[in-house]
Amino acid sequence: MPGTGAVELTGVRFGFGPVPIFEGADLSVRPGTLAVVTGPNGSGKSTLLKLLLGLLEPAAGTIRVLGEPAGRATALRRIGYAPQGAGGASVLPISVSEVVAAGVTPRKRFLQPFGRLDWRLVNEALDAVGLGDLSRECVFELSGGQQQRAVLARALVGDPELLLLDEPTTGIDRAFRPRLLAELRRRADAGATVIVVSHDPEDFHEIVDRVLALEDGKIGDISHQEFHEVTGR
Amino acid sequence: MIDLLTHDFGRKALIAAMAVGLAAPVVGAFLVQRRMSLIGDGIGHLALAGVALGALIGVAGVWGALVVAILGAIALEALRARGRLTGDLSLALVFYLGIAAGVVGLAAAGRYNASVLSVLFGSLFAITWADVAVIVALGAAVAGAVTLLYRPLLAVALDEETARAAGLPVDLLNVALVVLTALLTVGGMRVVGLLLVAALMVVPVAAGGRVSHSFRGTLWWAVAVGGLSSVVGLSVAATQGELVPGGTIVLASVGLFLVFAALGARAHRLHRPGRAS
Repeated sequence: MPGTGAVELTGVRFGFGPVPIFEGADLSVRPGTLAVVTGPNGSGKSTLLKLLLGLLEPAAGTIRVLGEPAGRATALRRIGYAPQGAGGASVLPISVSEVVAAGVTPRKRFLQPFGRLDWRLVNEALDAVGLGDLSRECVFELSGGQQQRAVLARALVGDPELLLLDEPTTGIDRAFRPRLLAELRRRADAGATVIVVSHDPEDFHEIVDRVLALEDGKIGDISHQEFHEVTGR
Repeated sequence: MIDLLTHDFGRKALIAAMAVGLAAPVVGAFLVQRRMSLIGDGIGHLALAGVALGALIGVAGVWGALVVAILGAIALEALRARGRLTGDLSLALVFYLGIAAGVVGLAAAGRYNASVLSVLFGSLFAITWADVAVIVALGAAVAGAVTLLYRPLLAVALDEETARAAGLPVDLLNVALVVLTALLTVGGMRVVGLLLVAALMVVPVAAGGRVSHSFRGTLWWAVAVGGLSSVVGLSVAATQGELVPGGTIVLASVGLFLVFAALGARAHRLHRPGRAS
C-alpha cells in the first residue's frame, strides 16, 4: 500500500554503470515539509531529484511522488523544478518573462492559449524573486544571480505542491538570500513540500524541518545538532 | 516590383516566395534555438533522394520528396534523441547519402538533366498556380501548427530536460518540429531549392536575434526579414533577368542580416539592463 508522503522511496537501487549511487535507499517526506539534502560531491544529490522526476529510472525499488509513480505527467505538472545552474547559454535572446512562462505552459490544457490569469501568475513569481522590473529584459544579459532567480521563478510559478530545487542559492547574493529562504518557508507553511539540494546547507539551517544526508547509498536524517556541528553554525 | 506584378509569372512567383519567406523563420527560430540549424539542410538533401524515388516509381517529385523528407526527418530526430547526431560527422553522412542517392536515382530514371538544377536551386519563374497552391498550403499549415504549439515548443527549446521534468510530451513535440521542417523544406523546393531552403529558416532568425530581447521579438523580426528578403531577392532577379531568384532571395537575407548585426551592435552598446547578483 502506498504511503501518504509527498515523496516515497522504497528500496531504491540506482547507479551509473557499475558504481552504485543508491543501494536500498528509503525515504518518506510528509506534505508541508521543507527538507535540505546534503552530501559530498558525487553522493547523488542531483540524481535523487532526477529520480523523483522520472528523468532517471531506478534499477530496483519504487518511487512515488504526490501519490503517483515517479515521472507520471499528471504528477509532474504539480511539481516546480529548478535544475542546477542558471539555465546555460542560449543561441537566441529570451526574455525573463518567457523563461517564467515556460513554467506555466505544462499546466495548461493542450492547445489552450495563454490568458490574463497566466500572465498574472508569471508576474507574481517574478515579484517573489525580485525581478518584476526586469521581465522584458533578455535573461542572458542579466547577472548570474539574476538568471538564477529567473530559473527559480519558473519553478515557483503557479504555487506547485512540490518544489525540487537544485542548489537554489548558487550565485545569489547575501542580501537577497533571506528573502528567498523566507519565500520557501512560507510555501512549506502553506502546505507545499520543498526539497532543496545544497552542498552548502548552512544557508538553510534556520528554516528547514529536516536535513537529509546521503551516505553509502542510503538517505538518512541527521539531527539539527549534528547539522550544526557539520556546518559550524 | 510593380512591373513584376503585371505579369502572371511574377504574381505566382511573389505569392510563393512570400509564403516560404514568411513561414520559414517561424519554424527556423525553434531549430536555431535548439542548435539544430543544419537539420533543415539534412532534410533538404534527403528530399532530393525523394525526388529521385518519385521519378523512379512514376509519381510527381514533390510527393516523393514529401514522403522521404518526413520519414528522414523522423529518423534524424530519433538519432538526435539517442545522442547519435550530436556531431557534424553524422549530419555530413546524411548530406552525402541524400545527395548521392538523389543523383544516382535521377540518373537511373533518366531524369538527370537541367531540371535537377531547378530542384536544387528553385525555379520560381516556372511554377504553376497548382504549385503556388501547394506551397501556400504547406506554408500556412506550418505557420498555423507553430502558432498552436508555440508555448510548448518554446518551453522545450528553452530547456528540454526541464520541459520533460514538467510533464510536457517532449518526444512528440520534437517529432512535430522536424515534420514541420520537412513540410517547409518541400514547400520551398520550387522557390529557393532544396540546397537553399534551410537558409531561409536560419538567416532571418539570426538577423532577428540581433535586435531583440525576447524569443517572440526575434520571431517577428525574422518573419519580417524573411518576407522582405523574398520581395527584394525576387525583384532583383526579375530586373536582371539572368539571375536565379533562389540565390538572390538568400543573398538578400544575408544582406539584411549584416544590417541587423550592425544595428544590434549599436543598440547593445546603448542598452544595459540593471545588473545585480
